[in-house]
Amino acid sequence: MIFQAFRRLRELGILSMNSRNADYIMEGNPRSLFPLVDNKVLTKTLAEKHHIPTPSLYYLVEHQGSIAEIPKILKEKKEFAVKPARGSGGNGILLIKGMTEKGFLTQSRKVIPQEDFNYHLSSILAGIYSLEGLEDKAMIEALIHPDPVFNEVAYQGVPDERVVVYRGVPVMAMVRLPTRASDGKANLHRGAIGAGIWLDSGMTMSAVHHSQLITRHPDTGNSLRGIQIPYWDRILLMAAKVTEMTGLSYIGADFVLDRKSGPVLLELNARPGLAIQLANQSGLRSRLEKIDRAPREIFQTAESRVDWARETFGQ
Amino acid sequence: MKRPALFLAALLFLIAAAIMTYRILKLGYPLFPMAAGQVWRLEIEASIDPGPGESRLSLGLPLPHKGKVVIEESIASGPYSFTLLSQGPNRMAIWSGDSKEENQEFHYRATLVSSARKSLSDQPPKESGYAGILAKEDLKVLGDRIVSWKNLKPDRRLEKILDLSRQVADLSPSSSGPLGKIKEMEKRYGHTEILLALLNESDLPARKVEGLWLEEGIQTKLVQWIEIWMAKSWEALNPETGQLFKNPAQLLPLAIGGVPGVRLDNGRLTDLRWTLTRQVVRQWKLLFERIIQSNQFLNRWSLFHLPENFQQTFRFLLLVPIGALMISILRNIFGFPTFGIFMPVLMALAFRSTGLLYGISIFAGVLLIGYLVRRSLDKLHLLLVPRMSLLLTLVICCFTLLALVGNKLGLREFMSVGLIPFVILTMTIERFFVVIEEDGLRRALMTSAGSTAVSVIAYQVVNWERLQMLFFVYPELMLVVAALQVLIGQYTGYRVSELFRFRNLRGSS
Repeated sequence: MIFQAFRRLRELGILSMNSRNADYIMEGNPRSLFPLVDNKVLTKTLAEKHHIPTPSLYYLVEHQGSIAEIPKILKEKKEFAVKPARGSGGNGILLIKGMTEKGFLTQSRKVIPQEDFNYHLSSILAGIYSLEGLEDKAMIEALIHPDPVFNEVAYQGVPDERVVVYRGVPVMAMVRLPTRASDGKANLHRGAIGAGIWLDSGMTMSAVHHSQLITRHPDTGNSLRGIQIPYWDRILLMAAKVTEMTGLSYIGADFVLDRKSGPVLLELNARPGLAIQLANQSGLRSRLEKIDRAPREIFQTAESRVDWARETFGQ
Repeated sequence: MKRPALFLAALLFLIAAAIMTYRILKLGYPLFPMAAGQVWRLEIEASIDPGPGESRLSLGLPLPHKGKVVIEESIASGPYSFTLLSQGPNRMAIWSGDSKEENQEFHYRATLVSSARKSLSDQPPKESGYAGILAKEDLKVLGDRIVSWKNLKPDRRLEKILDLSRQVADLSPSSSGPLGKIKEMEKRYGHTEILLALLNESDLPARKVEGLWLEEGIQTKLVQWIEIWMAKSWEALNPETGQLFKNPAQLLPLAIGGVPGVRLDNGRLTDLRWTLTRQVVRQWKLLFERIIQSNQFLNRWSLFHLPENFQQTFRFLLLVPIGALMISILRNIFGFPTFGIFMPVLMALAFRSTGLLYGISIFAGVLLIGYLVRRSLDKLHLLLVPRMSLLLTLVICCFTLLALVGNKLGLREFMSVGLIPFVILTMTIERFFVVIEEDGLRRALMTSAGSTAVSVIAYQVVNWERLQMLFFVYPELMLVVAALQVLIGQYTGYRVSELFRFRNLRGSS
């Protein structure tokens, strides 16, 4: 019975954790390049070089000493986001909407006193949220105003689009929608919804919540299917470029849609998760193998790779 | 599977196999080093007051029996001369001499070891026919009685005879008739002798055996039983109860076939006792002595050359890789969560000094206290390193308190708490807190259960004496473990947990 279950997963072309680690990450992602994606500051500089838009950086807090200076620096900025440069899984991110007398007002309408805000910054610097627990830097970035397209299906927070890219070819995509349970965070294991996206049309299809298939948002009750992702062409093209940008062959690129500036690259992930397969009701492995068998000429430009992917993995 | 890794695994395996083969074939190492409990030490102490003239004490010595062989013997005989006499299947120790002094002491010591070799006592009887002490006409009475059973199967025949023997025993002493006659004969020859004659007359070769119970303790009298050849093997019959011994391996025969196990000519036995002890350390020593004396390269480089207390460490240290192997299997093939990679193995090592129950309780207790403190600490907004230091201090405080309480209560387990890896415990508190915060209590409890299960299994493995011995004698087995680790590192298939994770995936494209 258990062998049947194994065979079923294989026939569905599902990528396993072991195979992802051994066959794709260890095989195609040299360790020396990991800092480029683990450190968001490096990612940002790299992206700028390749003309991929990212949220603009207001200030980089590098030392405990400069925390005190922040109010002065941020004087004219009313809205901003605080992130650990080497954070993971959305930990340590603060989204500030404005100021009140009592302190900073977050997007989820909590008030954070100045003292707590400073503590948060020094925690980031001490490395509490960093991947290896090493000392870190805190980024203060422009706050993203999410595109209204997801207003009906996102509970607070900022939805983001994850595109898995292999050898410069977009493989699979999903949009991650925060829920009440995920506390506005777009991480699936915290209870966010993952909705698969048809690669060719940019339309959402199936969705998954806590590993269960759903068709409606648990908080808003609205349908999760058939939502057209705006700027889909641009997103795919940007995603196709991250391989050239970083040199990593298996990568997850996270984008957010800003109301004004359109899609921006939020971060890259050298170990993208496997839940995207559930959101798309489709296996990564069979697609990755197709890419390995693809004719050489399709790899020439980002455009040709995107075209091939839309044709091969669409519908 | 990628070739180079497969090649490496095969190479490691081959090297280990080659060294092992060399040790076994050339150096004569045992294939399966025995664990404690299967090595017995027998000590016979006798003292006599010699009579006038030459005295002679003969004692039956242990025989190869039910997979037991004698591997080492030593004898102390004082002024008496000693001979080892083979008498049929028996080995008799005979001390003889002429001494005027009272209280002559004799010692015999032997080590008995299990062996896979077929021993003498498992072989069929050589000569048939009864050579007992019964007179011809008495034998005929018995023969007439049982002649009709000769065509029955051996076990049926045995049943009938035991039945008959029981009937005779139940008879009142003054009865007449054929049964009464047998009863009368029993009075003359003894119950065992009649039973022996009955068995032999019905073509069930039987013999009287004297020996010991194979159990720890001192015995001052030999046990008597009857061995019956039941077509395939010897079965042991208790003549008192008329029943077969369920586990004949619990008997140690010293004299077979009516030869007395103890016999003293000319003198008075003042003391005689057999002491049996199960050997624990002895086993190691046996190999140790053999290896330490050898000049072969592998023997000179054996772990047995380490000082005794370091040997102790290496006995379980060599098994730690197995614990690590188990963790890789659990994580990569089953997808079972554990806190950290090696935390369960380190816990298993700590349990060695605290014991399993105390170890787990102490660990869980300190973890709980640590978690509660960590939770309240969260509001204080302490930085990472000082916060971890604080938790470490808390852990050490808990240990100190436990040790003091243990001292008052006389609980050694509480005092050896210091050997629990406190750094690991501190890290686990932090991880536990983070997992509860991020993934919920359910996940945290599952991970705890996983870690505990692995540490308990690892503890059992590390303390498995037979395995310890095996790895200590053949440290190259670690290469086999390494080969398995390479193979698991090559496993890119699905984890069992992924079957569950992707159960809702139907596949659309």
